[in-house]
Amino acid sequence: MLAWPAVPLAAQTAPAAKVAASIGRVFGAGVTVDSVLVDSTEVFRVSKEGALLGFAEIRNVKGKERPITYLVAIDTTGATRDIDILVYRESQGGEIANEAWRRQFRGKTAADPLRVGKDIRNISGATISSTAVTRSVRQALAQLAGWRAAGRLP
Amino acid sequence: MRPLLPAAILLWCAAFPLAAQQTDPPEEERTSLGGYGEVHFQNASGPDTPGIVNVARFVVFLSHQFSDKIAFRSELEVEDAKVEGGQGGGEVALEQIYLDYMLSPAFTLRAGLVLPPIGILNETHEPPTFNGVERPAFDHDVIPATWRDIGVGVVGTVPGNSGLGYRVYLLNGLLASGFSADQGIRSGRQEGKEASFANPSLTGRLEWARPGLRIGGSFWYGGSANQDPALGTGTFDNAVALVSADARYETGPFSFRGVVANISIADADAVNAAYGGQVGSRIAGGYVEGAYNVLSALAPASAQRLDAFVRHERFNTQAGVPSGVTRDDALARRITTLGLTYKPLYNVVFKGDYQLRRNQAGVGQDQLFNLGVGYQF
Repeated sequence: MLAWPAVPLAAQTAPAAKVAASIGRVFGAGVTVDSVLVDSTEVFRVSKEGALLGFAEIRNVKGKERPITYLVAIDTTGATRDIDILVYRESQGGEIANEAWRRQFRGKTAADPLRVGKDIRNISGATISSTAVTRSVRQALAQLAGWRAAGRLP
Repeated sequence: MRPLLPAAILLWCAAFPLAAQQTDPPEEERTSLGGYGEVHFQNASGPDTPGIVNVARFVVFLSHQFSDKIAFRSELEVEDAKVEGGQGGGEVALEQIYLDYMLSPAFTLRAGLVLPPIGILNETHEPPTFNGVERPAFDHDVIPATWRDIGVGVVGTVPGNSGLGYRVYLLNGLLASGFSADQGIRSGRQEGKEASFANPSLTGRLEWARPGLRIGGSFWYGGSANQDPALGTGTFDNAVALVSADARYETGPFSFRGVVANISIADADAVNAAYGGQVGSRIAGGYVEGAYNVLSALAPASAQRLDAFVRHERFNTQAGVPSGVTRDDALARRITTLGLTYKPLYNVVFKGDYQLRRNQAGVGQDQLFNLGVGYQF
């Protein structure tokens, strides 16, 4: 039974079908997704046939003017499986949604610098969105790692 | 617990009642205010040239998201701190004001006062985005930034991880009456102020980007006669044809950029006969620039940047001259800029540079020392 969160999510979010497709692409078909609340944040617990595969979160970060809604997914060791740009609302800088930029995050952990210009290559002309999403993923990994260490992720 | 099977997507969606909510933000979050600005200090070499400090630009971005598909964007600029009657300098100007109607990421309709997508700087000129205090002279006298005109167009990205993007517009044209020998087409810009639409012009850009590299090509084609009988009353009379190519490359602590452009002015001899002047029939040139983030070696863990850069510009607004014009070799310019760009945050910049301004005639050459602060948000 799922517990509906009593607190509202961030105002910017993505259509459910898009979220479902994203989690399916990242974790594979036939997975089971449970929504759990950790510190008022909705975290998706992804498993298959009872075995835990990892966790995912929908996050929002401000780009130049509009929020960017994306998904970050980690595996059971806390390493990033992938990120997915779910909704990109601006007319510039959308190249960060491309595979070539996103794949840089695979395998990243909370111990990695996750800095544009260091371990994450920038896309010239999309510096604001590159920097914003990179910073947000860095914060997400740190938060998820903290919860994992404290045993807060089920 | 609900399995993720295609047939069960609807049931599964019920597990995300809040995720299924509308994507429109609440009304109060739809308006966005941003801006950029820069303050300069400049001292030219030689006697009788005191240093000058100036609020080069104060710019406000005001935008509003009406819905997921329709957005408004604008840019209002104040140059040189104030405009006062009877005094030169100073400008208050709308540089952009347009509506976007996004039909898909591949296809957004745009209408209003827009920036021709030519080169690098015309569309991207916030102070933290380029090295050097002043904008390159090439982006003043060849590609006349900030170039803005009124019209309609389409922008978008080619789907499927292509990395390709495009922008193409139909805009009001240039006025040949404003062309000059030393600044090319710059004063032919109408800037959205009761602009004549006698010579609608086509401009566009195709670019390709992947992490670390962005390359693009741009063009402008349109008449500039403005129905002056001396130049022609046809829509494409006195055609101005511009082509340019540019690239930006970043790898580790190094970053490079380069731009080249070529502008042809048809019937430049007729322009000179009609308006006086020594306008060239061809304007061409470009620059290359390289930078190295010194902090990557001195303080590798730091998120701050201190880029040491060098840029060399080479351009000639009289690369080609029509009959009746003798080339002025002082217009074949070579400008070398060396400097430092310090960014404690990626949005805030402190700049300093030294420029050597040379030309083929060896006349009127000088050196400039510049300092500047800038920001964007």
